[in-house]
Amino acid sequence: MWSAIDIYCRLISIRIRAQLQYRISFLLDLVAAAFATATGFGTLALVLQRFDNIAGWTLGEVAFLYGMVETAFGIMDLFFSGFDPDTFGPMVQRGRFDQLLLRPVSITLQVLGSDIALRRLSRITQGIIVLGIALALVNIRWTPAKVAYLPLVLVSLIAFFGGLFIIGSTTTFWTVKRVEAINIFTYGGSEMMAYPMHIYTKWMRHFFTYIIPAIFLNYYPALYFLDKPDPLHMPSFAPFLSPVAGFGMLAAALAFWRFGIRHYTSTGT
Amino acid sequence: MSSSIITVSNLKKYFKVSKHHRGAWGTLRNLLTREYKLVRAVDGISFEIEPGELVGYIGPNGAGKSTTIKMLTGLLVPSGGDLWVNGRVPWKARQAHVINIGAVFGQRTTLWWDLPVIESLDLLQYIYEIPPDRFRQNLDEFRGLLDLDSFLDTPVRSLSLGQRMRADLCAALLHDPMLLFLDEPTIGLDVVAKERIRQFILHINRQRGTTVILTTHDLSDVEKLCERVMIIDQGRLLFDGELDALRERFSGKRELVVYFAQEYEAVVVEGAQVVARDGTRATYQFERGTITASELIGRLSASYRIHDLQVREPEIEETVRRIYEERLLET
Amino acid sequence: MRLFYELLKLSFRLQLTYRTANLAGLATNFFFGLLRAAVLVALYGTSHEVAGFSLPDAITYTGLSQATIACLSFFGWWEVMHSVYSGDVASDLLKPMNYFTFWLAQDLGRAVASLLVRGLTIMVAYALVFDIALPHSGWQWLAVGMALTLSLLVSFSYRFLINLAAFWTPDARGVGRFAFSLSWFLSGFLMPLRFFPNWFVRLCNLTPFPSMVNTVVEVYLGALTGSELIQALGTQLLWIGLLFVVCQLVLRAGVRKLVIQGG
Repeated sequence: MWSAIDIYCRLISIRIRAQLQYRISFLLDLVAAAFATATGFGTLALVLQRFDNIAGWTLGEVAFLYGMVETAFGIMDLFFSGFDPDTFGPMVQRGRFDQLLLRPVSITLQVLGSDIALRRLSRITQGIIVLGIALALVNIRWTPAKVAYLPLVLVSLIAFFGGLFIIGSTTTFWTVKRVEAINIFTYGGSEMMAYPMHIYTKWMRHFFTYIIPAIFLNYYPALYFLDKPDPLHMPSFAPFLSPVAGFGMLAAALAFWRFGIRHYTSTGT
Repeated sequence: MSSSIITVSNLKKYFKVSKHHRGAWGTLRNLLTREYKLVRAVDGISFEIEPGELVGYIGPNGAGKSTTIKMLTGLLVPSGGDLWVNGRVPWKARQAHVINIGAVFGQRTTLWWDLPVIESLDLLQYIYEIPPDRFRQNLDEFRGLLDLDSFLDTPVRSLSLGQRMRADLCAALLHDPMLLFLDEPTIGLDVVAKERIRQFILHINRQRGTTVILTTHDLSDVEKLCERVMIIDQGRLLFDGELDALRERFSGKRELVVYFAQEYEAVVVEGAQVVARDGTRATYQFERGTITASELIGRLSASYRIHDLQVREPEIEETVRRIYEERLLET
Repeated sequence: MRLFYELLKLSFRLQLTYRTANLAGLATNFFFGLLRAAVLVALYGTSHEVAGFSLPDAITYTGLSQATIACLSFFGWWEVMHSVYSGDVASDLLKPMNYFTFWLAQDLGRAVASLLVRGLTIMVAYALVFDIALPHSGWQWLAVGMALTLSLLVSFSYRFLINLAAFWTPDARGVGRFAFSLSWFLSGFLMPLRFFPNWFVRLCNLTPFPSMVNTVVEVYLGALTGSELIQALGTQLLWIGLLFVVCQLVLRAGVRKLVIQGG
């Protein structure tokens, strides 16, 4: 157990040092990530001045959704960088995945340790800032339950996005070319979850409720925190399903990952 | 269980390759049905390797060499047959298996691309859980043997091919594996570098008793290093035995170079052909089956005065080439 | 001239062969278009017109911006950088063609192919799902064509310039990512620029980015006519000219550095 953590830390520190080597490039990366995030929320904030609200949600309330997603996705992206399909795919294609199979260390641990994209810190910071804006604009009636539940929602979101990444990476065992469509689920999914989900059409909502349970990870908990009524008339325990949805997704993803590795070792490259 | 370090029994690996149809109708067929072609990469091979052997594993491209090696290292799951390495089934006990083997691939490095060599090696110490003393001991020994000091601090991506191979060899052996797999270890290297690598491999095998499986296209590697050779082609093991036996059975023409005491006008002899003449020197070619070397020498010395002579075996290259081409082993 | 056309044709054909990538890209574009359309519908609420755009206009906008960014390699174009790092640049520079033009030909080929495969398909899909706006007259279509061509040139010049950073540093990806992200923020590809506060729009107009996406969209939706149209197209031309000059200067400096230092 401890040796696993030790190896992980060593692998990570290599990556960190490699990234800090090119200081200017790293700083520019941070700024780039900041711009990327600012494009999303900044656009919304500026544009919402012209419109009043979005489907009955004020800027502060949307900021809550946005902040949660950005922070969670950013944290996930930081630690699961190795599982980013854009980096994992090329690794498999170049035959470097075999290298991992030849080392007496868990494969999953090696992939996790293969990258830590420090530029994600930018996104995490922005997410926290947007959350701060949200809390400043909206008066949440805090209860002990809410205070305890908030970090759990965040962690469930991280698990959820991590699961999406792992699924995305696993598919690269089958396809010769990278499946660009995975971006729909990872980046598309996170952007989609940043808005109140009742604005979407029925079939889209159903997909993200029953097939990929995204709606329980951000929207429903937000209804709970912001004391808003549920326009979709789900059962009253819906806001508390986020750990189930998040960790369930992660568990399913890991099962698929193991299946993917079995497939890879029986068919070769 | 026998004392062998590797036991392979009727090992098979088949691949299903989907047939791609061409043309307009072909695309439609591709979408509707999936026709598969069965590729028998490894089609029932069996062998045993004892600890301490230095075995050459050769064959033409696509013969099934790398597929076999992948199964032995645990990278690939066989389609059939049995396979034990160190008493384990490689693909079933991955981590336990892998910690006892070392592997060097000529085409790819096992080290971390951006790191200085020494840092890669340090990292391996923790990955393989090598006791610090043993690590230092091995590192010092290999540093000397492979002359690594001049580039220990250089990032792997900046190394020349020869330097990278040496670093990879060191990396593969730091954890004292019982078994070493070498896949094209001298490819692309100049003669001097090749020789250095070969010397190192011999040393490892003789001094440490490390079992070595060598896959290569360079038959002079085999000639200089291996006593035992296995030849694979089209998934089947064509030959498994000693190098000398290979030569015995299959090399056709041998050569005898004779230095006569004087320049004779004609130096013909029965049973052999003169293929070259140069002053007092003549080269004869004779078939192994037709006449033995001593018989030929006897006949020559009966007719001419000989100053010196030399028997030359054909290059193993030629022997193996003959086997591939003429499929001599097909019964 | 002949070489230019040949390169363009080659690149065009090459892009068409990337069937799975094109398909996946199409799916991605469509998804994000729908997403943004949903957001705009929610924003509009009961309003019929905001800042001169009706709801169909706004929805059409989301499809248009997806169609445009498909052919602009908007999220990253690293070809020149890769060529410099791999060393291919040496043989490319020896070709009897200005290096800028060399890459322009290839990029245009790719862009036209993307426009047809992805851009056109998106708009058709949009037309089937939504009630979209269409240009009224042949003249307007012509204006759209011109604006689109110019935006391709502006975008290419900018991307080319960014890639030239590879001549100066062994890892220019950070510079690249920064430069690309800048274009996302200021081009109006998420929301029409006219929805933003005036001070922001004025800021954006100091950059070439609106000329890449916003201008084409506004011309298509008929928001720019007469003198405004001429002005917008003129601005695009101006940026092309400016960026072209800068590219040539930077390229010359870069090549000199390459030749002196040996890469």
